[in-house]
Parts: sequence; C-alpha cells; structure tokens
Amino acid sequence: MQILSISTKSLSEATRSALLKAQSALAVAQKEATTGRLADVGLGLGFRAGQTVSLRNHYARLETIIETNGVAKSRLSATQAALEGIAEDAEAFVGALIGARDSESGAVVLAMEARSRLASLINTINTAIDGAYMFAGVNTGTAPFENYFSPSPPPSRQSIENAFVAAFGIGQSDSAVSEISAADMQAFLDGPFGLLFEDPAWSMNWSRASSQNITSGISVGEVIETSANANDRAIRKLVSAYVMLADLGGEKLNEGAFQVVVDTAIETAATAIQELTDLRAKLGVAEERIAVSNERMAIQMDVLSRHIIDLEAADPYEASLRVASLLTQMETAYALTARLQQMSLAYYL
Amino acid sequence: MTLTTALDVARSGLSVLSGQTSILSRNIVSAGEALATRKIGNVVTVPGGGVRLVSTSRESDAALLAHLLGANATLTEQRTIVEALNKLDGTVLDPELDFSPAALIGKLNYAIQLYASAPHNAVAAQSAIAAAWDLANALNSATELVQELRQEADREIASSVERLNTLLAQFEEVNTAIINGNRTGADITDHLDNRDRLLVAISEEIGIRTITRTDGDMVIFTESGVTLFETRAREIKFEPTLAYSANVVGEAIYVDGVQITGVDAGMAVGSGRLAGLVTVRDEIATTYQAQLDEIARALIGIFAESDQSPVPTLPDVPGLFTFPDGIVPPAGTWVPGLAGMISVNAAVDPARGGDASKLRDGGIGGAAYVRNTSGVEGYSEWLQQLLDRIGDARPFDSASGLASPTALPDFAAGSVAWLQEARMTAAAEREYRATLYERSSEALSNATGVNLDHEMALLLDLERSYQATARLISTIDEMLKALIAAAG
Repeated sequence: MQILSISTKSLSEATRSALLKAQSALAVAQKEATTGRLADVGLGLGFRAGQTVSLRNHYARLETIIETNGVAKSRLSATQAALEGIAEDAEAFVGALIGARDSESGAVVLAMEARSRLASLINTINTAIDGAYMFAGVNTGTAPFENYFSPSPPPSRQSIENAFVAAFGIGQSDSAVSEISAADMQAFLDGPFGLLFEDPAWSMNWSRASSQNITSGISVGEVIETSANANDRAIRKLVSAYVMLADLGGEKLNEGAFQVVVDTAIETAATAIQELTDLRAKLGVAEERIAVSNERMAIQMDVLSRHIIDLEAADPYEASLRVASLLTQMETAYALTARLQQMSLAYYL
Repeated sequence: MTLTTALDVARSGLSVLSGQTSILSRNIVSAGEALATRKIGNVVTVPGGGVRLVSTSRESDAALLAHLLGANATLTEQRTIVEALNKLDGTVLDPELDFSPAALIGKLNYAIQLYASAPHNAVAAQSAIAAAWDLANALNSATELVQELRQEADREIASSVERLNTLLAQFEEVNTAIINGNRTGADITDHLDNRDRLLVAISEEIGIRTITRTDGDMVIFTESGVTLFETRAREIKFEPTLAYSANVVGEAIYVDGVQITGVDAGMAVGSGRLAGLVTVRDEIATTYQAQLDEIARALIGIFAESDQSPVPTLPDVPGLFTFPDGIVPPAGTWVPGLAGMISVNAAVDPARGGDASKLRDGGIGGAAYVRNTSGVEGYSEWLQQLLDRIGDARPFDSASGLASPTALPDFAAGSVAWLQEARMTAAAEREYRATLYERSSEALSNATGVNLDHEMALLLDLERSYQATARLISTIDEMLKALIAAAG
C-alpha cells in the first residue's frame, strides 16, 4: 500500500504543463511590455470593451466637429474681412459725398467713384471660397450678383432704367434730366427706386443669394448660423446708395435734384455702415461661440483620451517585471526537467 | 514435511517470482502511457505450502475516474465555445483598429458631419457614401463569418457524432471482452485500461455517467440520463445541414431516438464538445447574428425617407441603406439575415450611376421624397436631421439580448461589450476547467499510475527473493546429495 504516491507520468507532466503556461504568459507579457496596451483588449476588458468603443467613437466625433468648425471659422473670418473692406469703402464714399456735395465738378467725380465702388462691392460679394460663394446663403453654387456694368444690361440695371423711364418719361442719359425737380427726384428715390431694393423686386432683379444662412453643428447638438448673405439690409442699402450716384444721370441733374440724390445717398450709406457693424457683431458672436465650443471639446477630448488610456493600458513596468519573473520561472523549469531526467533509480542500480 | 515438499515450495516461489517480474516489466513499459494503471499480481499461499499467482489486478479509483470524465467534458465544451468566440472576435478586433460595426457607424457619422459642414462639396458627399459602403460591407462580411461559424459547428457536430458512434462500437467490443474475461478468470487489466481510455475519449464528445454491473459490465448514460450504451451501443443520429443562412435552424441530435439538443429536448445534453458546438451553433452565433441584423435594420430605419408632399400618401422608403425587399422593416422586430443583405442604395451611389447629393437633398426613393426642393447647394438641414436621428433611442428586438430602446451607436457598442464579455467569461471558465482537468488527471495518475522508482525498488526485492529461492534450491540439492551419499 502506497501512502503517498506519485506516478512518473504526472511528475514529468507537471514541469511540462508549467512550461507551456509560462510560455503563453510570456507572449502576453512581452506584448504588453513593449506596447503599453493590453495584449488582447477585448479579452482583458470584457463588457468594458463596449465602453472603449463608445469612448473612441465619441472622441473621433469631437475631433470631426473641431475639424468642421475649422471650415466654419475660416468662412466666418473671410466674411468678416470682406465686410470690413466693404465698410471701409462705404465710409470713404460717405466722406467723398460730403466733400463733393457743393463743388462744381462733384457730380462727375462722384459718379466715377460710385461706379468703381459698386463694381468692387459686387466683386467682393461674389467671392467664393472652396467652390462655395461666401455671401450666397445656402445657395452656395450660384454667384449672388451679376456684373452691373456688363455690355448687355443685366436685370438689375434694366430695372433701374425702367423705373427711371416710368417716373420721368426719359432715360438717365437724356439731356432733359436737368429739368427734373428736386421734389420729383426725392419722390422717385423714396418711392419706385427704393422699392427696387425691397422684396420681391430685389430677389428678382438683383440677388440670387438665399436669405437662409449656412448652419453648422459646432458641438454636439448646437447648431448656429455661420455665414452672411447678400440679401442683408446693409448690403441692399449700400448697393442702392452706390446706384443713386452711379446710374441716375447725376452729371446732368440740376443742382437741387443732385443735392437731393447726394443727401439721400449719404443717409442711406450711413445706415448701411451702421447695419454692417451689426452684421459683423453677429458674425463675431458666432466666431466666439465656435472658439468656446472648440475649447470645451478639446477639454472633453483630453478627458476621453485619458479614459481610453486608463481602460486599455497595461502597466509596462509591471509587464516587464512579469517577463523577468516568467523567464526565471522557465529557466528553473528547464533546469528541473534536466535534473529530473537524472533522477532515476535506473542510473544507480 | 519432506525435502521434496520444500523443493516444490521453492519451485512455486520461482514461478511466482517470474510471473511478478513479467507484471513488473509490463508496468515499466507502460509508465509513459496515458491512463495506464499499475498492475498487481495477486499471490496466495497454497494450503500445504507453496505460493501461486492467482490473478492480475490493477490500481483503480472509480471516483477519480468519474471526476476526470466530468472535468474532461466541461473542458472540451468550454474550449469549443472559446474558439468560436475568438472567431467572432474577427468582426471586432482591437478597438484601436476601428474595425467593428460600432466603429464604422461612428465613421459614417463623421463623414455625414463633414458633409453637413460643406454640403456643396461633392468630395464630402462621396466620402459619406464610401463610409456607408464600408459599414454595409462590414455587416455583410460579419454575417458571412457568423454563418460560416454555424456551418462549421454543424460539420463538427456531424464528425463528433460519427466519432462517438465509432467509440461506442469499440466500447462494446472491449466491454464484452471484460465480461467474458471476468467469467473465465482471464487477465482483463489491459482491457479495463482500454475501456477507461474509451470512456475518456467519449467524455470529450459528450458528458457521461457510468454504472458498473456484475461481471464488470458497464452502462453509459449521458449526464441527462439518456442511455448511450447498455449491453450494446445505442445509435446517435444527426442530419448535417448543407448550407447555412440566418434563417436556417440546425437539426437536433438524437440518441436512441431521444432528442438531446434543441428547445424540445427534455433531456438536453449538458456538457462535452457536442454541447459546446450546439451552444455555438444555436445560441452564441444566432444571438450575434440577431445583433448584426438589428444594427442593419436600425440603419435602414434611420435613413428611411418619408413622403414630402403637402398631403403625404406614399409609404416610407429606404434611403441611403436598402436591401433587396426595398421596404422599411417594422421597428423593433428582428429580420433574420438582414445584415447579410444590406447595401447602399444604387440611387445615391455614383459608382452605379446614382447621385451622391441625394443624401443631402433627400429623394433617394423618388421625386416625392425630395426635401431640398429648391436644389440649393448649401442645404444641410436633412443631414443635420440624420445626425440627430442616429443619436435617437430606438427599439431593438429582444432576440439580440441587448438593452432596448437605445441609440444605434450605443447598441452597436453594446454588441461589442456582449461579445468581449462572453470571451472573457468563457476564457476564465476554460482556464478554471483546464486546471480542474489537470488536477483530476494528475490525481488519477498518482493514484493508479506507475512510478518507475517504485518499480525498480520492487525489482530489487524480486531479485533478492530470486537469489534466496535459488540458494534454497541449491541448499536442498546439497542436502539431498549428502543424504544420498550417506545412504550409498
């Protein structure tokens, strides 16, 4: 009767299975020591693997929003710069109007200046960034304005001429415009001419832009307008002020009528400058909100990435310690196997 | 007592010694074999002097063997499950790789976000469509993988059943030899070892219990009590299914006409490779398929378009994602195999003559579904709405085994969590079962196996006895010689 028995097979099996286990543990520990991440994230985390997938998704979502915010931000700053230029032009124009109001040759100079400023305004409004017209609202595929001075008159110029003829019975270049009284001119400017810059005439003859601004999701669930459009009151007023001097036959008007035109233009342009400031302030608020939400999202991303690392990371120091102890363990097992080979009565009999 | 009797006794001693030496050398030779037991020669003293080797028996321990059989069955079951789950992990991989359906849903989300920020941009539209394709392809290939896994499990069940039938037939032969040997008193120890080996092999396929009856006859039941062997082997029947799809339900296994797998089985098989394979085929793979299908159904639902006419009359139709039926499946109801059929709508796919901007404008399903009726290029409301809809909570079928209602990204992440949790639990369980198996096989080997040193020591004993007996004979011979010389 053997009290304590061990079979030769289980003796050799013991070191063999210990070696196998140590080897597979070594592979895991080596990977963790070199990468600093769990060797098999799914196996190591279990149900929390769902969490890292969600966190990574959330992280990438914020990353995308910050990226798309960049698009909105560059559109906003380009718009700001354009509006600044427009406002400076308008101020210079008002200055010129005030200076030239009473001078003899004022009308000719002002007409030329108004024409060039109108052309440059139309140019600015028709600027496109990345294939999208900046001031077109959501109708980004079409330039908002047509060239007012193109040889074949666009609807805008045509409508001004039609209104002029309807009011005074003559064209703007007719020499008889000098007979238009100041009162008639004032009535025309306040009436038919003014209506041309209101809807529906405005969107029929002048602007192909959409009044609906481009909206952007600037953080999760926060959607704001991130563009301006050519239908803004500021732009309409400014256009009308320029047109008054550029295309109402100013050079031939009598002094009274001309002064009415100039006065109305000063008043209109001044309102336009005021409204441009409001518009720029509105865009500035949008820029500010993007900056704030970017900052907030950057903080969130920081937290998220720390979470992800917390979940998926393996301690490389601990792993390399494990590698060392496993190596010792395996060396011992090898040595033991060799020694056990020698340990048999057969060698001693 | 005479000298002749003494000589006879000594001679009987010699023959017992050589018999024992032969048993000992059998032990030494079998020392390295699995499940080889230590054989013992039973010696009795014959009345009137002398010894005789009456029979050979072996070290055995029925309780430890039963333990080993149980541990073996649960180990192979767990191993089968772990292997299957590792294959399913091929649809998820490391979260860092962004390979899972959950990660691809995220990518589609960002692509749409980018598109919404630059709705006029055709490249952004194309990359949203490409992201949609990646997701549809991932769901398709995941379905393929899941169904291949079921197919493979089914094939393995068939070969496992075949192997069981062969093993039971062999068992019948060995069992008969043991009964006969017991009746005639022959040495049956090697047969008994063989029978133990067969039992271990059988327990690998299916969990069993055994009862030993008179004459060493053995009866095998499954753990649930269905007879596998009683006097003769019972037939195990299984019809393999040739092609798997999500709709196909695998055939059940029958033992002796009794169904042992499936929902109708009163005495369902509890452990062993067969149990593992059936769990993989009918539960794990099916649940995972349901999760994939529900992801696909939710995608079709999220991107579905509704009639934009002032008085809507047309039904909702699939938008970006569709499947051959071309309808929007009802909410919260599992459509088996949908993940294998989902694709990107041709109407929005530039590669097949579609128009990618329909994703922005609506109208994938036809003119009545267009939202951006003015056709302006900066329109992004529908895209923003789609982004919101992805984040809305929606109902999911309970077949998926996941929480409902939840938002699609959370559901998809839940699917990853479900799979990895199953992997972790199964791997830990396998580890535990493997240790249990090692311990019980070690315990059995220690209790019944051969220790070479022990045998060598015994050999020394035998050598000494042999020398003593030989000396005895020569002494008796001397004495007889002296007697004869004195008489002569």
